[in-house]
Amino acid sequence: MHEAMTCLYCQFPEALRAGLLVSAVCALLGVFVILKRAVFIGITLSEVATCGVAASFLLGIPPLAGSLVLVLASVSLLAIPFEKQRIPRDTLMGIMFIAASALSILLVSKSGPGLMEVNAVLYGDLILSSKKELYTLLALLVPALVLFLIFLRPILYSFIDREAARVLGIKTWIWESLYFLMLGVVISATSQIAGALLVFCYLVVCPATALILSKRIKWVLAIAPIAGMLATFLGMVISFEHDFPTNQTICIVSCVLFGIAAAASWIYRKIIPINQPH
Amino acid sequence: MSGSIITCEDVCVAYGRTEVLHQVNLEIPEGIFLPFTGPNGSGKTSLLRAMLGLIPIRRGRIHSPFHQNTAGYVPQHKVIDPLFPVSVRQIVGMGLYPKRRRFRPLSAEQRDAIENALAMLDMAEHADKTFRELSGGMKQKTLIARALVSGPDVIIMDEPTSELDEQSEREVLGYLLKLNREQGKTVLMAHHDLELMRTLTSSMCQVRHGKAAIVSIGDGGPANA
Repeated sequence: MHEAMTCLYCQFPEALRAGLLVSAVCALLGVFVILKRAVFIGITLSEVATCGVAASFLLGIPPLAGSLVLVLASVSLLAIPFEKQRIPRDTLMGIMFIAASALSILLVSKSGPGLMEVNAVLYGDLILSSKKELYTLLALLVPALVLFLIFLRPILYSFIDREAARVLGIKTWIWESLYFLMLGVVISATSQIAGALLVFCYLVVCPATALILSKRIKWVLAIAPIAGMLATFLGMVISFEHDFPTNQTICIVSCVLFGIAAAASWIYRKIIPINQPH
Repeated sequence: MSGSIITCEDVCVAYGRTEVLHQVNLEIPEGIFLPFTGPNGSGKTSLLRAMLGLIPIRRGRIHSPFHQNTAGYVPQHKVIDPLFPVSVRQIVGMGLYPKRRRFRPLSAEQRDAIENALAMLDMAEHADKTFRELSGGMKQKTLIARALVSGPDVIIMDEPTSELDEQSEREVLGYLLKLNREQGKTVLMAHHDLELMRTLTSSMCQVRHGKAAIVSIGDGGPANA
């Protein structure tokens, strides 16, 4: 195991760094994806980002540009207040997911480069991350992370109780839009490198692990990135040692960590009442 | 009482093509304890929400001081998703947002204000519980404490006691009356129990068929005397 760790760091330092960065930022933003009960937005935007990458191949533009344009357009569409619409937001997300998934395949079938090459870019493989991709991630994810932490309080209050927040003078639409804009940028940047499935895993499974372990928001926000980074590190080491596909191994490790957290939480809740005085 | 604190001039509010308030004219005196009564769907909630600027008005004008000093607001429903891992103390602390400085922790004075608001509503022992761990009545008390924590001049509540048992309702209403009588706070609240309101105050705002008017309700309490 120790040997695998050393080899992994020596041979794929960028992959390890990129994985830790992607997991930490996605897991942190994912806490609000779960709390807003908008889990489906994670997989929808990941799939839209993939579609953007596919379209870029056909148009001959940088994949990140195509991915960003499509994801931000989708975020703007989803930001429309749906409370008074006849179709709920979830349904629109479902339609977008289906369209993006199908269109990705159609675009790939008509694109110039070889199918294998396009598939590698479309579905990502963390272990193949390059130095250039790591710098791109740093340039996009670090500002998003900083903005999120700076404006955490108004974002949190807007999400907890929008009307009360408005009465308190919080411009809720600004903070909600900012959050979804950051989410869009993060998903665009990470989907191409980590793939839609792994990004979705970071957005959902790691925050869920944190939410199971703590009932304090500050701890949840601290545990979620740690859970993401731990799953990434262990997943990469296991995949390296046993020659498994990296992304899928990380996903399985994340789910195992969630299972352990759920079991630990259940045992804790069963034991604590016994120790409490009646 | 020293003049009007909120003035509505020909206010019309509509949802789509349905107009729920038609040319409402009201002058709400400062320091009044004023229940808004009326049948379901009469427009009580819409009127209060329009005063707070939460819904746009189609025509007319509302003059209120809320751009200078925020109102304490208790919404009608259990608006906080129990999924949020926030404690009662944190929710009450949310009411201090306009007074807090970014990146600064709560001051000792602000922490005291939170503890006082919790103590006044008998919620001190539940301060560390999360919202999902509370009963309906406790949730309502938490929202009331959040509305009161910043010491607003105007408190607007939409059925604030709807989730409370009879004893808790009397306690909360008693506390609101005390705020009104001793500190001169203006208290506006939608309430369905006309008979109970008769015992507390001498006037109310009757909302019916999209119209609103302040009327006398006889004996009343000393709040508006």
